[in-house]
Amino acid sequence: MNGAQHILEAFHRHNIQTVFGYPGGCIMPLYDALVDDDRVEHVLCRHEQACALAADGYARASGKPGVCIATSGPGATNLITGVANAHRDSIPMLVITGQVPTELIGTDGFQETDVLGMTLGIVKHSYLVERADQLPAILEEAMELTQSGRPGPVWIDIPKNILLEDAVAAPMSTPAQPRAACPDIQDALILLRKARKPLLYSGGGISLAHAEASFREFVECTGLPSVVTLKGIGNPGKHSAYNLGMLGMHGSRAANRAVDECDLLLVIGARLDDRATGRLDTFAPNARLIHIDADASEINKLRSAEVAVRGDLNTILGKLTQALRETPLAISEWRKQCQTWHTTGGFPVADNEEPLAPITGPAFIRQLSRIAPDDTIIACDVGQHQMWVAQHYQFDHPRHHLTSGGLGTMGFGLPAAIGAQFANRESTVINVTGDGSFMMNAQELATIRRYHLPLKLIIMDNQCLGMVRQQQELFYNNRESQINLDDNPDFVAMARAFDIPALKIERTDQVRRGIETILAYNGPMLLHVAIAREENVWPIVKPGGSNKEMIDEIRRPAADKQEKTA
Amino acid sequence: MTTKTSSKAPSYTITCRMNHEAAALERLCQVVRVRGFRIERMGVETADDTLDIILTVQGARPVTMLQSQLEKLHTVAEVMLTSPAIVPAVGCTA
Repeated sequence: MNGAQHILEAFHRHNIQTVFGYPGGCIMPLYDALVDDDRVEHVLCRHEQACALAADGYARASGKPGVCIATSGPGATNLITGVANAHRDSIPMLVITGQVPTELIGTDGFQETDVLGMTLGIVKHSYLVERADQLPAILEEAMELTQSGRPGPVWIDIPKNILLEDAVAAPMSTPAQPRAACPDIQDALILLRKARKPLLYSGGGISLAHAEASFREFVECTGLPSVVTLKGIGNPGKHSAYNLGMLGMHGSRAANRAVDECDLLLVIGARLDDRATGRLDTFAPNARLIHIDADASEINKLRSAEVAVRGDLNTILGKLTQALRETPLAISEWRKQCQTWHTTGGFPVADNEEPLAPITGPAFIRQLSRIAPDDTIIACDVGQHQMWVAQHYQFDHPRHHLTSGGLGTMGFGLPAAIGAQFANRESTVINVTGDGSFMMNAQELATIRRYHLPLKLIIMDNQCLGMVRQQQELFYNNRESQINLDDNPDFVAMARAFDIPALKIERTDQVRRGIETILAYNGPMLLHVAIAREENVWPIVKPGGSNKEMIDEIRRPAADKQEKTA
Repeated sequence: MTTKTSSKAPSYTITCRMNHEAAALERLCQVVRVRGFRIERMGVETADDTLDIILTVQGARPVTMLQSQLEKLHTVAEVMLTSPAIVPAVGCTA
């Protein structure tokens, strides 16, 4: 069995049935082996970046590792953004690249790049395979590593000669042993019972640990008011009575107020990211902090924890639930206060009953949320539409909301939606994107077409880079710089060129019909939604500012004038 | 991310044992730089498949943060802070 066949055998052992890749010179032995293998479905994207992002979307939607494959040189460098995206959001991913033959490494051979060196900072771990007999053990270790503890991408760079060479597995050197987790929760319980105003702050770590059910049970049992990060959206479910929603830069006033006033912050599976906390020295000023996470390096990284519990979140949440079920928390006044804030300080209601009025982003997303089936997966891109989805779509599970949190990768949404559709063939998958983001991986319309994926695409088109324009308006004295996209192509014609039907809407009375039409269509369909260029995401905290200083909607003089005239 | 380290920033000595494999030292040095420290001195000894490294680093951030980031590296078996004071790694329960 040669190196390439060992890779396919590892896929079979680990039940990897779908991989995303793009062939080329040094990875050709693996593609040759694929010809004789009918157990692995290879998805040919049209750009390596899309291969990595599709593998990422597959992993987020399924909870299983995504796999992407590319050749050396430009194939590998094109993967980098997608792998960095997975790294920042701790997504399990196996990355396999061909490399020039061993004897050519370091000679500036054709399509040679130092992949190992240039990717050190964006992987959980990486390997350059030096001998063929190392490959089977490396594959095993990589599969374990990418999923264990805090997940992350693992990259294996394999010289072409090793892919071709027959190999018998050799034992690997013993890896460093992980420290055993010791989830002692007693100190956490003491703080929780002392607190009068405890608040739960959860993030993407819940899903990474596959702990959604344990978390939901914990919240239901304790009745703790909760806020979530962007990646935590979907927990603890849309019917949770005490969920105040997303906190932070574009969070709700209720969520940020609760953080400001709580006396104990119970942080679970979150890393206190700057977009969530705002200026750290004013964040949760009255709160003691309990930090529960799988990754020890996140504890005390940005704010000291009075109590830290590291380990498997399922185990820890189970123990906490059991203890607090026996002795419930006496926090009814605090719950009532949070519910009042939630009623008065949620995201602004944006429904517009005027049929001929222009479509607004929040109103459109609310309508989409009402109409789309419960198991719909929304893959966002990055920008204003991403925040409107986070604010206004009612998610009931975090795996239904795919968003590029840490890296903020424009172009993520379409390939991620492709990956999610392969992971969930029967689910409705919608890529909600902006006109800027869509054009960053628009070539993947060809992939949708090739595999007859029933994906739905919604482009919220304001003919500019809306989030940048908004910040230029608010924080750069309205000096617009390089944000104009009013020469966008005709998106409807573009979709049709890929044999994907499309329609355009621009008035409020067309919204429901437009959404229902694409959802009912048996196949891929694109909805081009024209929205106003000047629309902003509210509220907003100035980057680097305090969450206490949220800015609500600012009425422009022109709008005031129109109102007075009317 | 780049972080300036002033000449007044404290120095620390760290010993580290890790597997001797491709890019091992690059991986270690990159973590030191990215986490806001500068290497002042570095000594390396090899034995079989192991690297024993003594690093003197300078930086204004808490050195325990660097220690925990180095411990995360898959091929690192042990990281010890030997000066100016021995500070335990972040425990499971404070």
